[in-house]
Amino acid sequence: MAKSTWGTLQLSTMNKGRSIKQNTMKEALPNFRNLGITLRILLISNGMALLLALSEASSWIDVMQYMLQISTLLTPILLSAWVLLWVMQPWLARLSYWYGVLTVNILVAVVTLITCFFGGELFSQLSSDESAFYLVRNTLLSVVVSSALLTYFRLRTLALSSSVHDARLQVLRARIRPHFLFNTINAVLGIVRTQPKRAETALEDMADLFRMAMSDARDLVPLQKEIQLSRQYIALEQMRMGERLHVDWQLQDLPEDALIPQLLLQPLLENAVYHGIEPLHQGGKISVTLRRNGEELRLMVMNPRLPHGEGLHRGNKVALQNIRERLNLLFDAEAHYQVKIGKDFYRVEIALPYVRVRPKLKERSS
Amino acid sequence: MSGNEPVLRVFIVDDEPPARTRLRDVLTDCNDQLSLQVVGEAANGREALDKLVDASVDVVLLDIRMPQMDGIELAQHLHKLHKPPVVIFTTAYDEYAIKAFELHAVDYLLKPIRKERLLESLMRARDSGPLQNEVLHDLSPEPRKNLSSHERGKIHLIPIEQVLYLRAELKYITVRTADREYLIEESLSALEKEFTSRFIRIHRNCLVSKDAIEGFVRGGEDSAESGGWMAKLKGLEELLAISRRQQHIVKEFG
Repeated sequence: MAKSTWGTLQLSTMNKGRSIKQNTMKEALPNFRNLGITLRILLISNGMALLLALSEASSWIDVMQYMLQISTLLTPILLSAWVLLWVMQPWLARLSYWYGVLTVNILVAVVTLITCFFGGELFSQLSSDESAFYLVRNTLLSVVVSSALLTYFRLRTLALSSSVHDARLQVLRARIRPHFLFNTINAVLGIVRTQPKRAETALEDMADLFRMAMSDARDLVPLQKEIQLSRQYIALEQMRMGERLHVDWQLQDLPEDALIPQLLLQPLLENAVYHGIEPLHQGGKISVTLRRNGEELRLMVMNPRLPHGEGLHRGNKVALQNIRERLNLLFDAEAHYQVKIGKDFYRVEIALPYVRVRPKLKERSS
Repeated sequence: MSGNEPVLRVFIVDDEPPARTRLRDVLTDCNDQLSLQVVGEAANGREALDKLVDASVDVVLLDIRMPQMDGIELAQHLHKLHKPPVVIFTTAYDEYAIKAFELHAVDYLLKPIRKERLLESLMRARDSGPLQNEVLHDLSPEPRKNLSSHERGKIHLIPIEQVLYLRAELKYITVRTADREYLIEESLSALEKEFTSRFIRIHRNCLVSKDAIEGFVRGGEDSAESGGWMAKLKGLEELLAISRRQQHIVKEFG
């Protein structure tokens, strides 16, 4: 518990600097290094090409031919633009939104011009006198497609961030379960006369938990901080439940500089306690496994489950749903989430990208 | 102030040790205004039933949310005691239960427990009798997990999933499990209503567990139901007659 203040100061500076804000702020360019974003770009632009081919063609064979024609031009433009955007991503993220949009569009236009100009010979239909028209037309089309994509990403982010906002309120309500709040206060009152020191620690832990729950749920926090918070939470539950609650922590060579979404682990533990341990008269064990797997962090929480246990409570679903949405918003296709319900156990597994603390921030905050 | 009042005997049931400590502390604080004595405590329903059979208790402070058997079910079993105690429910937060308590004017205490409020409830409990069983039934959102039978100074809990059939005799209901029979004093139609998804009525006086039905055979010719169907239950030699009006069950389960 002595370490419970670790990172609190550090965090306040870090929160401002490091959260995946390009994803969560109202107006921000998409993260071009994200797998999900890349797939969406590929899919949508090829979909548009298919539409174009369909509208031009007069038979199915025609569609194929048009599609082929469009692809020979579209694919090199798409790939080179994406590579450039990938390289420029950190710099783009720092621009204000509308400058970012302008930059992306200019980049796409230039890439199209260059591709058409130098690759023009490859495309038999581009005869010299028409080339000027084709140059302008293709550039125009490219800019329209890139604008449409940016608009799509903007709307998607807006939609998701409002759900994050709602989810935050829900998390607040689902997380600080009144059940937990009042029982814990009652328990602290129960030990305050005989074990005042322990009661003090419990109140301090509660303050930390609530502070975290009331902060911005979009921020990333150091992994160690989230683990610390989860341990504090478990200490509170152990004060209430005594011997009935056991937690087996399997933390293997975790990187010091890893960041994870805050309140990712703790709500999972709370679910495990509420639905897994509390209904068991003799108590039980929760297993927590956290490890790094290359560029991925893997997290697993497993708790016992009554064989004839009823389905999930609504509160449980809300908390899990919220975690899923936040992972989706922050990492898109790069995070995985899996629930396994066995005959006598319940297991949640999460894989998420290993995000590091920026070295600069580390220096500043230490 | 209560010099000639008898001492109020209080029993605590809560699965969380600090919550029991808290209640003891506050009860001690109440002692200067109301003479009372904490006669025991239990961490779960079964333990409470075992201890309360022998103890003479006026008031039970009973937590609602406990593993295995919740407080409301325990209160229903406490009714089987010779002299049922007054129950005061305690809860940290339980929207459903609180609504039901308000509706039936049942006394409850919110955690964290406060001295003034506890004192008030104890005073009221001293002057009132135990809750009506019907009220307790209405409080519970779901059927009990156990039936209870009072037998030679002990209360047996019979897990409902072990019950094969329930048959009304003259004054009692016979509860049959694979091992033995118990007698309980309840009404068959109330049981049918409470456990509607688990049992099916095969006869005016008999409810059968749906899971236990193994098959059907044509009955003997000695009874009024001659030629009618009989139900065969898993693990039981005995056959149970199905009344004429319930013969359709054979088709549904056969």
